[in-house]
Amino acid sequence: MTSTDDLIHSLASTAGTRHRGASLQVALAVTGAASLACALLLLFSVIGIRQDFADMAVRMPFAFKVLYATALVVGASVVALYAATPGASATALYALSPAGILLACGVIFDPTGFPIMGRTSTAVAVCMGRILFLSLPAMILTFVFMRKAAPTQPLFAGAVIGMLSASVGALAYTLACRNDGTAFVAIWYAAACAIMAVVAMMAHRVLRW
Amino acid sequence: MTVEEREQRWTEAMLAERRGDAVAYERMLKEIAAALRRSLAPRLARVGLGVHEAEDLVQEIIIGLHSKRYSWDPTRPFLPWLHAITRYKLIDFTRQRRRDMRRRVDLPLDDWLEMVDPSADAANRSTWEMDRHLAVLPAGQRKIVRAIAVDGASVRCVARELATSEGVVRMTVHRAISRLLEAADPTPAIKPLSRNAHDKHR
Repeated sequence: MTSTDDLIHSLASTAGTRHRGASLQVALAVTGAASLACALLLLFSVIGIRQDFADMAVRMPFAFKVLYATALVVGASVVALYAATPGASATALYALSPAGILLACGVIFDPTGFPIMGRTSTAVAVCMGRILFLSLPAMILTFVFMRKAAPTQPLFAGAVIGMLSASVGALAYTLACRNDGTAFVAIWYAAACAIMAVVAMMAHRVLRW
Repeated sequence: MTVEEREQRWTEAMLAERRGDAVAYERMLKEIAAALRRSLAPRLARVGLGVHEAEDLVQEIIIGLHSKRYSWDPTRPFLPWLHAITRYKLIDFTRQRRRDMRRRVDLPLDDWLEMVDPSADAANRSTWEMDRHLAVLPAGQRKIVRAIAVDGASVRCVARELATSEGVVRMTVHRAISRLLEAADPTPAIKPLSRNAHDKHR
């Protein structure tokens, strides 16, 4: 057991010397802000905002979109903190319930009468593709954040990374999305999050430490 | 010691670490290592892993704890945090070992073909491989290794044939083996600086 004792001695000799970085909460907030900034930059430079934005910005469908995407971002952020901290309480998972409630309300009480598959036959594919595209920088940044933390369930942490990054992408995309049905937004934005979660789960090995 | 006392003791040690108290931190790490050893060795034995593997795992956990110690929030209990890290490392460790074991017992197609059809080609390849390895030796060493290891001659026979002592033959074989090992592992060994080299650095 001498080698373990030697190891412990050498580790203990560095007690208190490590630079104390920002707390996980601050680090996640910075990551989220940087991710949103990157997504908006991509949106403005590649996709552009919808032309009737000024009119739509004050109406209910747009408010629902922003509220729903924000609920996804906040919920996924809380769950990301849970995934990043060993032994954290699983009650953090309840943070996703507002987004779940909005999803259900959006689907059941859709007042817009908007087709669930969007304005055109390609609306679903275009919207989801753009959300995934806008969420790429967020995914990279969130992986960096998670690697610096201590995720003890890499598959779950990967799923949360995908969900958080897609919800940031979705929040940015609300400025460009021309499909205003609450059911459309609730279902397909969530589907984009699910796809990104599966993609990020496949990279869970990156999170091993 | 009760769970509450242990929680209290290790929490204080973790806080002491943040103040730079190496002694308290070292004592805590040793206590954790001992507790882990007691708990993990029987578990690993159940899946056929021995004491050495248990010690490797204990070291992995200690390193993990140390490298991620700032992810522990002092307002939260310490033991659940440690449990999550230990569990993660245990699962990761056994998964890795299982993968390693599978690789070691694997039967690749080449080996399989060699087994069911040890053709002349395979024999030629083995001879060629052996010649390639022996080529790193000086001619004298090569001759002795070939005589003993390939042709199966005894040390005494080789010594008599070369008109030298058995000790010299043994020494030559020992040096040849060292040379072959060095050639097989290209990573440079860490050697102490010679006096001349040390002087050069001055």
